[in-house]
Amino acid sequence: MAESEEEVDVLVQRVVKDIANAFKRNPNIDEIGVIPCPEARYNRSPIVLVENKLGVESWCVKFLLPYVHNKLLLYRQRKHWLDREALVDITCTLLLLNPDFTTAWNVRKELLQCGVLHPEKDLYLGQLALTKFPKSPETWIHRRWVLQQILDQFLAVGHNKNQEQQGEAEQANAERSQQLSDHLARTLHQEMRVCSDAACRYPSNYNAWSHRIWVLQHMAKGNGKVFHDELSSMRLWVSMHVSDHSGFHYRQFLLQELITEHYQTPASATINGSSQHWSSTVPSSSPHQHSCTQTNGELSGAEAASEDDGQLSFTTVLQLFQQEIELCSDLIQSFPGHETLWSHRRHVFYLWNQWKREQQHQCSSRGDNKSIHLNDSDPGMSEVSPQSYAGREESVNGQRHASEPMEVDRVSLPNPHDSKRLKRGVLLPGTLTLTSEHSFVNSILDSCCNPEQRRFAVAYKKWLDTVIGLQS
Amino acid sequence: MGTQVKDVIIKPDAPSALLLDKHADYIAAYGSKKDDYEYTLSEYLRMSGIYWGLTVMDLMSQLPRMNRQEIIDFIKACQHDCGGISASIGHDPHLLYTLSAVQILCLYDSVDAIDVDRVVEYVKGLQQEDGSFAGDKWGEIDTRFSFCAVATLALLGKMDMINVDKAVEFVLSCMNFDGGFGCRPGSESHAGQIYCCTGFLSLTGQLHQVNADLLGWWLCERQLPSGGLNGRPEKLPDVCYSWWVLASLKIIGRIHWIDKAKLQTFILACQDEETGGFADRPGDMVDPFHTLFGVAGLSLLGDEQIKPVNPVLCMPEDVLQRIGLQPDLLS
Repeated sequence: MAESEEEVDVLVQRVVKDIANAFKRNPNIDEIGVIPCPEARYNRSPIVLVENKLGVESWCVKFLLPYVHNKLLLYRQRKHWLDREALVDITCTLLLLNPDFTTAWNVRKELLQCGVLHPEKDLYLGQLALTKFPKSPETWIHRRWVLQQILDQFLAVGHNKNQEQQGEAEQANAERSQQLSDHLARTLHQEMRVCSDAACRYPSNYNAWSHRIWVLQHMAKGNGKVFHDELSSMRLWVSMHVSDHSGFHYRQFLLQELITEHYQTPASATINGSSQHWSSTVPSSSPHQHSCTQTNGELSGAEAASEDDGQLSFTTVLQLFQQEIELCSDLIQSFPGHETLWSHRRHVFYLWNQWKREQQHQCSSRGDNKSIHLNDSDPGMSEVSPQSYAGREESVNGQRHASEPMEVDRVSLPNPHDSKRLKRGVLLPGTLTLTSEHSFVNSILDSCCNPEQRRFAVAYKKWLDTVIGLQS
Repeated sequence: MGTQVKDVIIKPDAPSALLLDKHADYIAAYGSKKDDYEYTLSEYLRMSGIYWGLTVMDLMSQLPRMNRQEIIDFIKACQHDCGGISASIGHDPHLLYTLSAVQILCLYDSVDAIDVDRVVEYVKGLQQEDGSFAGDKWGEIDTRFSFCAVATLALLGKMDMINVDKAVEFVLSCMNFDGGFGCRPGSESHAGQIYCCTGFLSLTGQLHQVNADLLGWWLCERQLPSGGLNGRPEKLPDVCYSWWVLASLKIIGRIHWIDKAKLQTFILACQDEETGGFADRPGDMVDPFHTLFGVAGLSLLGDEQIKPVNPVLCMPEDVLQRIGLQPDLLS
């Protein structure tokens, strides 16, 4: 084992080089790790590359880290000169060992700004660091900065495009713009994968999920298809991670965005039926070829986006809520005693209640004689219009929606489009009400003896009575 | 199907008395006996580390054991031309460490050791159009940084230097349906972010904007059968979350909604009887971070062997009285 300062120097420089060479040799390294190994083995590099996995033997870390750390700090204090290539290698080694070292990421930001590093390279380095440190706040922060650079570049080209240009310049710019938008769509997709991977490595990974939200807010604003696809693909994930509160919160975020951003309210439909909502920062790679594959029985982006410039219709929103609450009921029954599932139910019901109130408010403020009336009264007492029976027993996308009787009473539809759908016999799902929620809770309390499940059910009931009860 | 409740079981032989002398010895020795590797690994947050150590020493009335002059010189050396302060020498400045440095200097009544006007300019310069604050010049936005900004300015008596109305507007835009707050609009509620946001609203005199009953409800649901508090549903209890949840409850006037005796039992069980210090959970490795939040939590719970702690700034009340700062609390 190296002991003297000089020996450490030589050793460490060799290891930093070995790491850089490993990346040159295999550009597809997809995971890093430390190999427990208390002592050095004679004449062998502590850097091990097996298939796409890069390992560093544990004995050398305690020499390696302080060395690269001090080198970088001396450079930062202008006490020691490092050329650009050395800076790239040193920060790479440093960040793979200690990814929360903010200043090292900042050095890379500067290298990126002066064109020494490519944004993709840094996204890749961060991705690797996250395989070992999936929470690392500074790694996520750096990713957002890099993504913002890519976005700014995209917007700058878009800006040029708007200026008057002629002939070849115009042509070249159009090509460049297309390339960038394809690139952006790929980056978005890749980013979702990085988030999923980190979410699988560490449960309820706040940084990974809040990053994912940031990415959608910045790179897919207004792109309903992306939101829909996310909602579909998350269905299986949350079903397999019923304790992951952050994963469920992400679903709540998607649902909220879909209904607030993409639901064309009756008012805006008649006044300014613009398709602005649909214009996106990132065009999906095939904007007019919606995928027809059905994911997990959920309403697909294609189904939802096929109407009026991709705006969701009234019935589609009802279906989204219905499907979500059914998923939640299923999971609560299959996996008793999970606080996350009950918390999700609160949020979904809250969103529903809020959306319903907004619809009612909009109708009444327009003095619409066709009011939406989604009644909370006892189902036995409600008048059920013939329309509300339409499609009761039908299934949409292979999923039955009439699993439990739910009341829809006197729903008069504000949008002529919805009436048309009804006449065609398209499903109108039952509505959620306080009453239906209470019967759900009672059925759990009647049949379940798991003490945790009962505790959460009682708390949910109390929440309905107080928080929702006070609003209604 | 059985479910595993995510909680810990406190063993009958877990510590149940407060071992103040051990904790003071642990903090006093911390840093001197660290080998290169451990020290290097955490250097990126050194300034906050010093704040944790000094604050817990002050709460235990042991501050004179620390090397005042050395620390003040260190802070001076960490102030950059832009006014911001870094975690350590050679690192880049950031709001997180600027606040920690100002808190330390307040403990030592030595704010004038640094260029205060430049600090104020630095903080002011990080405010964005929408009222939010970036953590540093690279632009990351987080409600934590909103707290750091107003806490720094409040301690320096310069709150009027920023657009407070806009700053409040941004923080409120991060409020969720459960009454909690996340790091940015649309983000999940998180006890650490809630602490920052309620603290922020306290310092800006806007606590009436919080739905205290709703938020109090969510915060109380963080208490687990062991008595410990977690930071989000289905996470393990942790001493640091015990502080953030407890301090938030104190700020919004709902601290009596949780079982204080059980929480106290949990916090005490996180002590290490041999080495001193507190860990995140019983039996884990101790560190200065959890030691501060363990001791501060016990102070909020009314332990009279410890100085009273301010729930908003996590500093001894007597220090804040000296500088004339009394953040609002709901009753």
